[in-house]
Amino acid sequence: MNLWGLIIILGSILASTAAFVWVALRLGPSKVKKNGSPLDDATAAVETDVEHIFNDEFREELRNRGRLHFEKIIGENAMFLQQDLRLTTSQLNDYMKQEITKSLQEAFAKYEESIGDAKQLAIDSIAKTQEAVEQQRVEMGNQLQAEVGKEKARIIARFEENLGDIVNHYLLIAIGDQIDLKDQLNYIIGNIESNKAAIIRDITDGS
Amino acid sequence: MSDGQLTLPVAIVTKADAGRLLREVSAVDEFMDATAIRSPGTPMALPKTSRLMAEIVEVNKLNMLVAEDRANLITYVTHVREKAPEIHISFSAEPSAAFMQKITTYLRENIHPQILLQVGLQPTIGAGFMLRTTNKYYDFSMRTTLKAKRDVLMQNIRAAQAEPELQTAEVTPT
Repeated sequence: MNLWGLIIILGSILASTAAFVWVALRLGPSKVKKNGSPLDDATAAVETDVEHIFNDEFREELRNRGRLHFEKIIGENAMFLQQDLRLTTSQLNDYMKQEITKSLQEAFAKYEESIGDAKQLAIDSIAKTQEAVEQQRVEMGNQLQAEVGKEKARIIARFEENLGDIVNHYLLIAIGDQIDLKDQLNYIIGNIESNKAAIIRDITDGS
Repeated sequence: MSDGQLTLPVAIVTKADAGRLLREVSAVDEFMDATAIRSPGTPMALPKTSRLMAEIVEVNKLNMLVAEDRANLITYVTHVREKAPEIHISFSAEPSAAFMQKITTYLRENIHPQILLQVGLQPTIGAGFMLRTTNKYYDFSMRTTLKAKRDVLMQNIRAAQAEPELQTAEVTPT
């Protein structure tokens, strides 16, 4: 029941009351004509009887009944109004719940969508990073392999280049203390003898 | 007396030896001169002489009491110290005196009669020697010889490396 229904109920109650009051006023005490015709006498007698029937007590009783009936109707309508208000409040609560739930669901849906997008972005970013890291690892591996190869070649070349020094060093450590100059005398003199002419020429011309 | 009339003993090897000998001969000469003009009874200290001086006097049969011999000896030693050719020779170890005398004898008989040596020590050469004259450098060390024969060493190393591989291949069942 809405407000219009309540207004209609109140209007009907007021209209009933107004009709009752009007009827009561119409049926109020009338003047008895004296010295009239029989019709008039009969009318007067009727009026007297009416006055006798609808006397003040009867009217008071009617008023009380009307009042009680009116109070009853008012009470019933108040109860209906209360029920309608409760119903309206309940419906309003349901409506608000639905609206809030709907809004929240929409917000949650958007939020989930945003989270999903962010998650996808993060996954893509991680995948790209992993790919880049893998690529870099492969490149570094190749580079390291190349560097190791170069270093190996360089060490071998250096070893071969300094092989004389290495062997000499090894011989010095191994038999250095057993090499005697006396044993080398013939070798020394032989080498000087083979370069004798050049040495004499250098000493003679160079000094 | 010319320089050629005297002989330089093999004990005098380096220029430092010649310098030391010159100082000794000069000291003796000064002592003898001082003796000639000294007043009787004046105390004098006899100069100390080394084996070098004794050897050169003995080899050349000099009389140090004769002023002319002393003068000749001073002139000769001065000439040797200042004019004699010098070569630098390095060994891997410190040579003994006997060894140096043999080398010096050979050099003075075959290269130059007054040649002086400057002896160096190069432990890294291993064996052999290095000789440097005024303008030339001769390296007869084991280190240089091994360097010169690097290819031979490499061939031997590769051959030794390939040998076990061949043996392994023979043992491996096919």
